[in-house]
Amino acid sequence: MSRRRHREEYEEEQEERAKSSRKRARSVFIDDVAEEDDDDDEEDDDDEDFDGGRGKKQQKRKKSSGFRYIDDEAQVDTDEDEEEGEDGEDDFIDGGADLQDDGDDDDRRRRMYRRPLLPREDEEQEEDVEALEKRIQERYALREEYEGDEEGEVEHQYYLPSVKDPKLWMVKCAIGHEQEVVVCLMQKCIDKGSELNIRSAIALDHLKGYVYVEADKEAHVKEACKGLRNIFASQKGMPKLVPIKEMTDVLAVENKAKAMDLCWVRIKNGTYKGDLAKVVNVDNVRQRVTVKLIPRIDLQALAVGNKSGSKGRGVVVPPPRFMNIDEARELNITVKRGRDPMTGDYFDKIDAMMFKDGFLYKKVSMKSISSQNIKPTLDEVEKFGDITANLSTLFANRKKGHFVKGDAVIVVKGDLKNLKGWVEKVEEDNVHIRPDMKGLPKTISVNEKELCKCFEPGNHVKVVSGTVEGTTGMVVKVEQHVLVILSDTNKEHIRVFADNVVESSEVITSGTLTRIGDYEIHDLVLLNNKSFGVIIGIESTEACRVLMAVPDIHGQVALVKLREIKFKIDKKISVQDQNQNTVATKDVVKIVTGPCKGKQGPVQHIYGGVLFIYDRHHLEHAGFICAKANCCVIAGGSRANGARNYGAQSRSNPQLSNKFSRGHDDLVGKRVMIRQPLYKGCHGIVKEVTGSLVRVELESQTKVVTVDRKFISEKRNVVDYNSTPYRGSETPMHPSRTPMRDNIPGTTPIHDGMRTPMRDRAWNPYTPMRDQAWNPYTPSTPQYQPGSPSPYDSSSSPYVNAPSPYLPSTPNSASYLPSTPGTGGLDTMSPVIGGDNEGPYFMPDILVNVRRLGEEESAVGIVREVLMDGSCRIVLGENGETMTALPDEMEVVAPRKNDKVKIMAGVQRGTTGKLIGVDGSDGIVKVDDSRDVKIIELVLLAKLT
Amino acid sequence: MFFHIVLERNMQLHPRHFGRNLRDNIVAKLMKDVEGTCSGRHGFVVAITGIENIGKGLIRDGTGFVSFPVKYQCVVFRPFKGEILEAVVTMVNKMGFFAEAGPVQIFVSNHLIPDDMEFQSGDMPNYTTSDGSVKIQKDSEVRLKIIGTRVDATEIFCIGTIKDDFLGVINDPAAA
Repeated sequence: MSRRRHREEYEEEQEERAKSSRKRARSVFIDDVAEEDDDDDEEDDDDEDFDGGRGKKQQKRKKSSGFRYIDDEAQVDTDEDEEEGEDGEDDFIDGGADLQDDGDDDDRRRRMYRRPLLPREDEEQEEDVEALEKRIQERYALREEYEGDEEGEVEHQYYLPSVKDPKLWMVKCAIGHEQEVVVCLMQKCIDKGSELNIRSAIALDHLKGYVYVEADKEAHVKEACKGLRNIFASQKGMPKLVPIKEMTDVLAVENKAKAMDLCWVRIKNGTYKGDLAKVVNVDNVRQRVTVKLIPRIDLQALAVGNKSGSKGRGVVVPPPRFMNIDEARELNITVKRGRDPMTGDYFDKIDAMMFKDGFLYKKVSMKSISSQNIKPTLDEVEKFGDITANLSTLFANRKKGHFVKGDAVIVVKGDLKNLKGWVEKVEEDNVHIRPDMKGLPKTISVNEKELCKCFEPGNHVKVVSGTVEGTTGMVVKVEQHVLVILSDTNKEHIRVFADNVVESSEVITSGTLTRIGDYEIHDLVLLNNKSFGVIIGIESTEACRVLMAVPDIHGQVALVKLREIKFKIDKKISVQDQNQNTVATKDVVKIVTGPCKGKQGPVQHIYGGVLFIYDRHHLEHAGFICAKANCCVIAGGSRANGARNYGAQSRSNPQLSNKFSRGHDDLVGKRVMIRQPLYKGCHGIVKEVTGSLVRVELESQTKVVTVDRKFISEKRNVVDYNSTPYRGSETPMHPSRTPMRDNIPGTTPIHDGMRTPMRDRAWNPYTPMRDQAWNPYTPSTPQYQPGSPSPYDSSSSPYVNAPSPYLPSTPNSASYLPSTPGTGGLDTMSPVIGGDNEGPYFMPDILVNVRRLGEEESAVGIVREVLMDGSCRIVLGENGETMTALPDEMEVVAPRKNDKVKIMAGVQRGTTGKLIGVDGSDGIVKVDDSRDVKIIELVLLAKLT
Repeated sequence: MFFHIVLERNMQLHPRHFGRNLRDNIVAKLMKDVEGTCSGRHGFVVAITGIENIGKGLIRDGTGFVSFPVKYQCVVFRPFKGEILEAVVTMVNKMGFFAEAGPVQIFVSNHLIPDDMEFQSGDMPNYTTSDGSVKIQKDSEVRLKIIGTRVDATEIFCIGTIKDDFLGVINDPAAA
């Protein structure tokens, strides 16, 4: 708004004043001020109740049209205040008035003269609201046409101040009293009439402590300010002349607002709070913008409610929906078709709301929208139509450092449109790019706003802003400036703006999108209601999707709030599969029954007898399948499960697992025998396991004793270590054995602990070496596992699960290394080993200790023949008596140095040699026929006669 | 694409394997360690075809392990962007389909399937042309072009397209 206009207004006002009586004018003035205050409140209300303001508005209109000139003046002074909180409905009328202000001088002046002459009563009597509205609208539209023709550059120049024009003076005043000062000046003007030579006075909202006074001479300003409170015109340097060039700036609206044109904004309050809106028009003078919104209008309510009916506060905000005018008509809502004076477009009007193409066009105050840091999502933008058309508007919200060197970009605007290139250098606003095309300069400087990142299918990218920020994936499709990305995390398609993406080789499977509170995606969590499941997707910062552990119904997914999660379950538990094989995490299992039959994958979590299996081919639920443990069978595994298929006889490693998990232990409830001196031989039931201590309820005495875990033997495993080590070595020779064999009672007599009470280590004085050796034996597992020299290594629990130590810890090692000492040729991959563990490892000619049931003493004998059922014919040394002994009644006599030995396992099985040295648990054997020196575990060697 | 290249690797060996079979042990361990692995640079090591040489072993302080530098020839398989591969479809869903070419898993998004092919859900999900003449389902063999690769420590994942000339089904088990 030009300064000149103000001046003229002022002049008019003075003329006006001359015409009207002084008293009247004064009262009007006061009246208006009061009203203005009212307006503020009133219009604030309007925000909440849309229609509520109508009645008041009409009132206001009557007044204000009657005292137009005052209104105008006030408007300049208190521009923003007045505007605040006003909404579309008011705009309609105000807009009209506004336009009048903008009109060319002559016309305006004519009106200005006429208007104040319009007697107030006149209006009150005659025109009803509709007519007035109509009239104003007509005038309004006409105005528009006129304006369109005439407005031009010359016109614009004409408004600019020159040396002939009055000067603008800046006067200091009390902070916070700027408006008051101006009002006082005006009052003085009115009172004193032509004595006062100032032309106008302006207070700017953004400028505290100063007002501007327009006058020809400094003296006039001082004169006018004399005697007024709060204004300090007599101070040194005051009033200060504003240079002509800067005069326009005083009244110019900041560029900030201008930049908002075609921007995305969000509404700060009211019904549309938080909604994305597109700015279609900015009225800098009145500090208001026209925005395009998706209407939230309840047509039903609109149809039912009468026009002035107000909506209560508690009314639910209707969801955003495009306005369907036909639908509205069907509901008998009056829809008027009119033309917008500003743009010349046609709008459908319902009440005062303007609709076009289903969108609501709404005038809002600049204060009620936020334009900074708006990140519209793709979906939101898409609703506003073609993305490419909206593209440039998105650039306004770019972060700093948006482009980095090396980015592939495409020019989207200007002469170079569609030129591709790579970013070479980034300056403030300009980006230097190296164009893709030949014959162009090496680098071209392009404005940042004209560039957009460009990608090609197959690029691996990371999303850097927006709702899916942090996701990585591969570009599958490029639709102009929208990319379809295949997410690395869940193999799902995501649509994002090319602009929000950077090329990256980073693969995020954990990150912003994959964390919720303390939990990560794929964590097993216990929920409040005792149920548990695996987090398979994060919905927001507060909610995640959890695949619940309901194995029978496949894939029950629940949306779980963060606070509903109790804690993360991170236990190392093992369970048994259908074949009673121990399944631990990372073991690969196959589901054999149930809805997911046939699926296979590594176990990720075990809890409550339920396995969570990850199958990368399974696309639902982020690849997770939930199955009962007994629906699965183990299929290979990451570690050699020494006790594989040892069936019910073996517990994988109670001790080991117990180190980590207190409480339930699978030893609890077992019948055990104590081997500790005090209670040696006593049997009991395990009541509780705490660390390495076990509380056993004795059978013989009615008491519970605490013993070291080391000193108990599980009843059926009492079989002892001395014999078990040799099992599992014989696989290749006994392919006919089935893995199930050991589950069939009767075929495993040797495991009947009852029959071999003497086998207990503590009871057996004849195997001195083993006594200390069962620790040393365990290190024999580490073939190619340098990291596991500990005797208590992985699968080796020396106490309960004796056989395992002697099996290789990695099945592969055996298959690749036929000559591995002690494990050679052991087909540990084959699940049948277990069954063959029972098989006779005894061989003819070896020396054995035989201990018959019930006999204290054992006798040394020589195996003559190995029978089919595993028992052996033995010739006892002393008297040449021949007897048949079961394998568990026999024990190989450990060789000493320089003894003749026979190798009992591996490819070398059956060969004889000489033990030339002992190294820990390994024996160094010089093989007879090949003269090779082999290192073989002592336990696999048997002394020959 | 397959390559026959020479690679080098330091093998750590436990002292127990020293002796006459040292070389065999090293080779066996090498095969176990290397075959089937995947590196971003060379791709999948398909097979070791020979040993160029085994260098002198160096005893590691403190452990007794000895590291041998081993040079070996091997066949590697590395998918490239733009490469045409023939692959077997392993799974079909509404997002597209997965196919495997040896150890490489390739995903063909529905955006990269010709527009005239539509997803048909059901017992045997498939993509079928409107006239039903071409059908992509599990176990179909397709020729595809790789447009992007992502290399993890343990696998190479590719995105492919069949939206191009001469690409698509080459052998349909259902038709046979």
